Amino acid sequence: MKINSLLIANRGEIAIRVIQTAKLMGIETWVIKTSKEPNALYLSAADKVIDFTDHAEDIPEFLDIEKIVSAVKEHNISAVHPGYGFLAESPVFAQRCEDENIIFIGPSPEAILKMGNKTIAKQLARKHKVPLLEGSLGDVKDPQEAREIARKIGYPVILKAASGGGGRGMRIVENDGELEKMFKMASSEAAKAFNDPAVFVEKYVRNPRHIEFQIFGDKQGNIIHLGERECSVQRKHQKLIEESPSAALDKALREKMGLAAINIAKSVNYYSAGTVEFLLDSDNKFYFMEMNTRIQVEHPVTEMVTGLDLIELQIRVAQDEPLPLKQKDVQCNGWAFEFRINAEDVQAGFSPSLGTIEKMSLPRSKNIRIDSGIQEGAVITPYFDSMIAKLIIHGENREKAILYSANALKKLWIKGLKTTIPFCKAVLNNSSFKKGKYDTSFLQSEMKIHYFQDKDAEMLAAFFATYDFARSLKEDEDKTVDFDKGKNITPWILNKRLKSR
Amino acid sequence: MRYTSEKALKDVFIACGEGKRKFEIVNPLDENVKIKGKKMDIRVFEDPDGFSYLIWKNHKYQVDILEKNQNKYTVIINGVWYYFSIETPISYKRRKFLIKSEVSSKTERIVAPMPGKILDILVEENTEIKQGEAVLILEAMKMQNEILANITGKVKKIYVRQNDSVMKDDILIEIEKF
Repeated sequence: MKINSLLIANRGEIAIRVIQTAKLMGIETWVIKTSKEPNALYLSAADKVIDFTDHAEDIPEFLDIEKIVSAVKEHNISAVHPGYGFLAESPVFAQRCEDENIIFIGPSPEAILKMGNKTIAKQLARKHKVPLLEGSLGDVKDPQEAREIARKIGYPVILKAASGGGGRGMRIVENDGELEKMFKMASSEAAKAFNDPAVFVEKYVRNPRHIEFQIFGDKQGNIIHLGERECSVQRKHQKLIEESPSAALDKALREKMGLAAINIAKSVNYYSAGTVEFLLDSDNKFYFMEMNTRIQVEHPVTEMVTGLDLIELQIRVAQDEPLPLKQKDVQCNGWAFEFRINAEDVQAGFSPSLGTIEKMSLPRSKNIRIDSGIQEGAVITPYFDSMIAKLIIHGENREKAILYSANALKKLWIKGLKTTIPFCKAVLNNSSFKKGKYDTSFLQSEMKIHYFQDKDAEMLAAFFATYDFARSLKEDEDKTVDFDKGKNITPWILNKRLKSR
Repeated sequence: MRYTSEKALKDVFIACGEGKRKFEIVNPLDENVKIKGKKMDIRVFEDPDGFSYLIWKNHKYQVDILEKNQNKYTVIINGVWYYFSIETPISYKRRKFLIKSEVSSKTERIVAPMPGKILDILVEENTEIKQGEAVLILEAMKMQNEILANITGKVKKIYVRQNDSVMKDDILIEIEKF
């Protein structure tokens, strides 16, 4: 069934990313306008806008399945792309679309359901002989049960939300004493974020690398992998910088892990884009973590090295076309990095930085790609996550890609709020990172300061503040001319002047 | 001549940073400026497209005033922020005196570092708390942030309740020093 029109049930940069490909394919694009950001950039990128600004606040707009489904039917739209986050991994939403003859651009509801439940996913992995970490076989009901398992497999352990993802609902526990508090936190976070308080316990690998494989399947049963991404630069399990390929893998290990990823995907007859996440320990042993049944934030690094458009492949697979390439046709060229530009104050522990983008200056070159959902004048609100743009750089090899990245970051200026740009610069300046020798402990162990500070910058800042202050003083002084003429004087200054005479 | 003496005072500024960091800056505030007694060739440019930048030793530094309240500035250079209060020699003396008297105050207030929602309060009034212990959990931008006690003492008053929405700088908890 051919897709003529498509609703993106999402916002920000990913909505714009999907629109770009859909337009190239001649598909009419629709988006949803919310009262939280009625002037957002993604609205002007689409052909048609559905107005949800009158939405009542019981569930957020992009999570309201019934409302989205009825809008799609009302406007006779043939397909829905969920982006990432929101309903992207909701089996209920995918099923509702199927029931209503709406094409869901993503995997089957069964695949989402099985992989979305980490307990089932682990059982499938075990069945297909993919390496796993020791831990509870299923959900644990209370802190006591968690404690028993933890004692058996040994601390440290990690508590994870059974329906979780993206780092939420996860807690590392170092000893018995912390367990109860951490269990409660993980469970309440899981209940809030994923509507499911269930958590499980797993052996915690200290300082692993986070390696994930992009896989792709079609409805004819073909499944291939498009190489790996390394996402070890993380803070509290939130990825900040990703690269493809990974400096940790050689050809043999890549083949072994790629095959394991394909086997996981095969276990649920997977089609569309998916990501199989592994932990890689210091002995190059890998363990299956989870499978994400959606397009990922970091998909552009795979696109940069493979030359493929993953959104296009998703759309083609959704309209029942077979994959246009086989495993042997997948070519990876050069090296790519992605830097997440978040509205966060790195100097204040990455706390959210709200405000207005007053000005932006973006670097341009053929090896630079910027996926962004903002424009000058955009207001960064607390309603959505803090990522405002992604800077993606391609180079002939890792060394060159790092060099191009450093140059591009120097030219990326955003005025009006604090961003993670100085953090990205600091990472590129780190010698372990440059050598490709880093793991998920990188931020704590390797970076004493989480932002890059130019030599003399503090002195220059002191100068500029003084420069502006002196200028304001002078402006105040100039106002005395007005005073002499008896014009434009505020009562406050008048009072001050009178007292000083 | 009162006016000239006022003018003379404005020839020296002290930019006080965080901690005890300070820069003495002597007029004129152009390429002949003296900072910490040394002549510095810094030039200020304003782009027609709205960016300001400084040229120093052949390098271009993007500069921006993020916040300004009378003499208190948050300046961003290449994305990194610096906080300064700009003092004259007279106000600098007064400031030193004020800082001394602040230190002796007995209570410390924890304020919200960002707008958000109070998910959970982990302490009770009139209980002891150690520096670095979590006092409450604030959710913002879909992240749960632990708010930590900045001093060791006794929780004197809790100003918020669970599920309250708070604005940046709202007072959350007051801790009394031992």
